[in-house]
Amino acid sequence: MLQILQDILAGLWETSGLYALTSSPQQLIMIIISFGLMYLAIVKEFEPLLLLPIAFGMFLSNLPAVLSEDMIFHAEYWNEQQSVDWLWKVLHDGGLLDKLYLGVKLQIYPCLIFLGIGTMTDFGPLIANPKSFLLGAAAQGGIFFTFFAAACLGMSAAECGSIAIIGGADGPTSIYVSSKLLDGADSSLNTGTIALAAYTYMALVPVIQPPLMRLLTTKKEREIKMPQLRTPSKTEKIIFPVAVTLVVALLVPSAGALVGMLMFGNILKESGVCARLVDTAQNALMNIVTIFLGISVGATTTYSNVWNLEFVKVLGLGIIAFGLGTCCGLLLAKVMNWLSGGKVNPLIGSAGVSAVPMAARISQKEGARVDPTNFLLMHAMGPNVAGVIGSAVAAGILLSVISY
Amino acid sequence: MHPLLLANHLVMLAGGSIDGNKRPLDNSERWGVTLAGLGIVIAALALLVVIIFLFGKIFDAINAKQKAKEAKIAEQKKPKNTPAPVKKAPPAPAPVVTKQEDDEEVIAVISAVVAMMSEQDGKIYKVTSVKAVSKNNGFSGRSAWAMDGRRQNVSPF
Repeated sequence: MLQILQDILAGLWETSGLYALTSSPQQLIMIIISFGLMYLAIVKEFEPLLLLPIAFGMFLSNLPAVLSEDMIFHAEYWNEQQSVDWLWKVLHDGGLLDKLYLGVKLQIYPCLIFLGIGTMTDFGPLIANPKSFLLGAAAQGGIFFTFFAAACLGMSAAECGSIAIIGGADGPTSIYVSSKLLDGADSSLNTGTIALAAYTYMALVPVIQPPLMRLLTTKKEREIKMPQLRTPSKTEKIIFPVAVTLVVALLVPSAGALVGMLMFGNILKESGVCARLVDTAQNALMNIVTIFLGISVGATTTYSNVWNLEFVKVLGLGIIAFGLGTCCGLLLAKVMNWLSGGKVNPLIGSAGVSAVPMAARISQKEGARVDPTNFLLMHAMGPNVAGVIGSAVAAGILLSVISY
Repeated sequence: MHPLLLANHLVMLAGGSIDGNKRPLDNSERWGVTLAGLGIVIAALALLVVIIFLFGKIFDAINAKQKAKEAKIAEQKKPKNTPAPVKKAPPAPAPVVTKQEDDEEVIAVISAVVAMMSEQDGKIYKVTSVKAVSKNNGFSGRSAWAMDGRRQNVSPF
């Protein structure tokens, strides 16, 4: 009897998480990192709506388990080529977070988030000043110049595209592109690490952009006051989403899903006749998708995915992409200022990277720092929302050019 | 890199010809993706600039026409110079507050604030002048109240 008891206890010990922890202490490091991220989200309030689900997802997926059926997330499933058998395996044998991560892998969450963003976005400043589109386009220079830099480091086309898209400063677009390009690719990168880097840099916009803005503009330029924008009519605001979807889908069909959902959300809002749908898309749907996206992306940050040289490269190239995007926007705004005879404040150029509305907020703050009576917010919102469209177009181009 | 080789790659890229697993990319492929990608983004958004700009012009013209029409109708509805029927005299109007009185009130408020400050720190202040702010010195023609309202609206951002 004593022997039986001993065997039972030994069996329990060998299948316990504590036993697993002693055999792979790396997971303990990831758990401690997740605690650090939870601290930043709760105490420092750094993007808590996203960082807390990511941190808790990281915590859950790094909890040690010996038996495969006890694991809440299986990192090994996501490096396989997608197929019907693979999908059945995930649904049948996968943990809860595996099933939630399907929304990322099948590009469902990014498109639904774009729908929610569309219902919350006012394209009025962009319609009032369509030249802002050019600033949104220039800021995508960060994506393509980083593609070049990553290619020079010997990375594969799929890896270059996945890292470069971080420069669009748009989390859903980064997830959309990387989940397509890295599917079954021979790469140690994965969508989770790309998303983690993209959201980290988006949270760091107030740290990354201001020094570049001050470096590339003079005090005199930052003081420029821009005239008040005209107010577009309701008809213009309704035609806008249809026109943009038509043009983008005809030129770059791969961007159709992202831009189409963004503009679908916007026409729901601007039509003024779908208040209930708008309310759901803005609040309930957006919150649900954010929870699923955050926790499942956090779950992909297992030790093996994060502690490698590739992730360091992603972080390094990601910040280069972000900085280059900011610089490209600022430089084009300077050119526009010169061409217009001093009527464009170059600070609005940096808002061309997406990161809505943080990037526009930084332009406003930097302008107000020099002159508190200068209000650039609405002028910066134009390039800012143009950046969302621009990054979706850039994503479509990368998906068209690179076969996956 | 030879321009013809680059042009050839740009054409090839339109067909999605780079293998995702290919590593490393050759020089013309790197340049091709960078230049073609940025060029197409700028071209697509420039096309949108033109379309939205034209829409704006068309709608501005329509609105201007409509306004002119409304103004014309309003003009026609205006009573002509025929003697108006005699009405009962309206009650005596309230005394009109002149701008002069407004200014005096503002000065009185400022003086009261200055007097309160002098009570707090024990020093004595005197208001020697109150000058109107020029519209051309960076205040965009907005009153202090309008400026403060705008500042409050923007401050959450």
